[in-house]
Amino acid sequence: MSARPIVSLQQVSKRFRNVQALRNVSLEIPSGVICALLGANGAGKSTTIRCLLGLERPDSGICSILGLESQKYSREIRQKIGYVAEKPALYDWMTVEETGWFAAGFYPPGYQAEFTRHVRGFGLNPHQRVSELSKGSRAKVALSLALSHNPRLLILDEPTSGLDPLVRREFLSSMVDVAGQGRTVLLCSHQVHEVERIADLVAILLQGELVCFERLEDLKQQVREFVFTLPMPTAAYPELPGTVLSSTAAGCEHSVMLRNLEEFRLSAWQAAGIPFQVRHPGLEEILLSLLRERRERGETGFVSQFEADVGADSGGEVEQIV
Amino acid sequence: MQLHIEPAGSIPIYEQIVRQVKFAVSNGALQVGEHVPSVRELAAQGAVNPNTVARAYRELQAAGILTSIRGTGLAVTPEALQLCRNQRLELVRERLRSVLEEALLNQIQPDELRQLLEAELERLSHSNLTGTL
Repeated sequence: MSARPIVSLQQVSKRFRNVQALRNVSLEIPSGVICALLGANGAGKSTTIRCLLGLERPDSGICSILGLESQKYSREIRQKIGYVAEKPALYDWMTVEETGWFAAGFYPPGYQAEFTRHVRGFGLNPHQRVSELSKGSRAKVALSLALSHNPRLLILDEPTSGLDPLVRREFLSSMVDVAGQGRTVLLCSHQVHEVERIADLVAILLQGELVCFERLEDLKQQVREFVFTLPMPTAAYPELPGTVLSSTAAGCEHSVMLRNLEEFRLSAWQAAGIPFQVRHPGLEEILLSLLRERRERGETGFVSQFEADVGADSGGEVEQIV
Repeated sequence: MQLHIEPAGSIPIYEQIVRQVKFAVSNGALQVGEHVPSVRELAAQGAVNPNTVARAYRELQAAGILTSIRGTGLAVTPEALQLCRNQRLELVRERLRSVLEEALLNQIQPDELRQLLEAELERLSHSNLTGTL
């Protein structure tokens, strides 16, 4: 792992008319990791990527990729990295093979052979016209185009949205394989369960603000859901055993997302005779609690769309019951 | 070896891989001397982070279950079978304990639990689950 970050944002802000798309966002992604960028629709994920690629000029702050400043070296950056857009632009009248041949003109020799290898690996017919491809196959062509110059960084913006589970799994395997060769992946996704399988780092954007940027493992290890039932809605209870991230209550039942569980405080709860559980929340539950907390604080109603995206099933398990 | 990962579960993914390798050794799916897939292969096949697979393999090496064969990768050690069989019981004990704790919390009586255990064992012994391990 090299000391120099592969991706870097330093105090980046961007405003579109009356929408603050990014607020003072700083993050650095080291080499050889998979970093997932999560957030609601409109939280600033695509803006972040467009600023990094030099397609958008931030109002303030500096973006860079592979040590190159995005504003000055947009073309060089795009030549060095692989990028899969949410809706990849391909020429419908070309065949798959011709698409690779056309793209090869922009890259060093060897590109086309590598492209053909990827395309065959994905089970595509090189002689088929792009216009005849399914959505999944188009996405595979886009991914092959992004991989064929063996980039040190692969950026994917919602690569698997709208694809069937089999294609999604093939995509995941490819991303994992890129990281397995020591290269770096930056992935925007609403598929929280997929992120949970493959990410080293997670960055969570809420309304343009970076509210979380850390190792997924640390996040999952440090956050607990503390659920307790009071005898009466207004009953007093002991001090909560950790730093509160968010809390919800339905009548007598309370659920609190905590960071750094303080086990020594649990004895007071036992002594008070209040039944409680300590659960291991999944990434999805942590994310939802952050989004709900935000909504409780009266900040515009963007959450509903995101909740629809991440789905309803929750994967936490009971860790400890007293 | 096929990985079955529950990403949202309370058991970290590297630990799930460690357990699955141990189960695979103890039930013969992985034989002594056999090579395990490379980190890259297993990560791509299971769609999990390669660093996670690498960590699981390091733990299995430290536990004496896998050993590095120069130039060819990691293989199952001769001692692995015994080690994994011993640990298999320990894993089941842990899971049983958490189920029992949950049952006791819900005021189920110990006698009811014993009956339940017997009944389930009886039911399973008539299915084709036994004998495979």
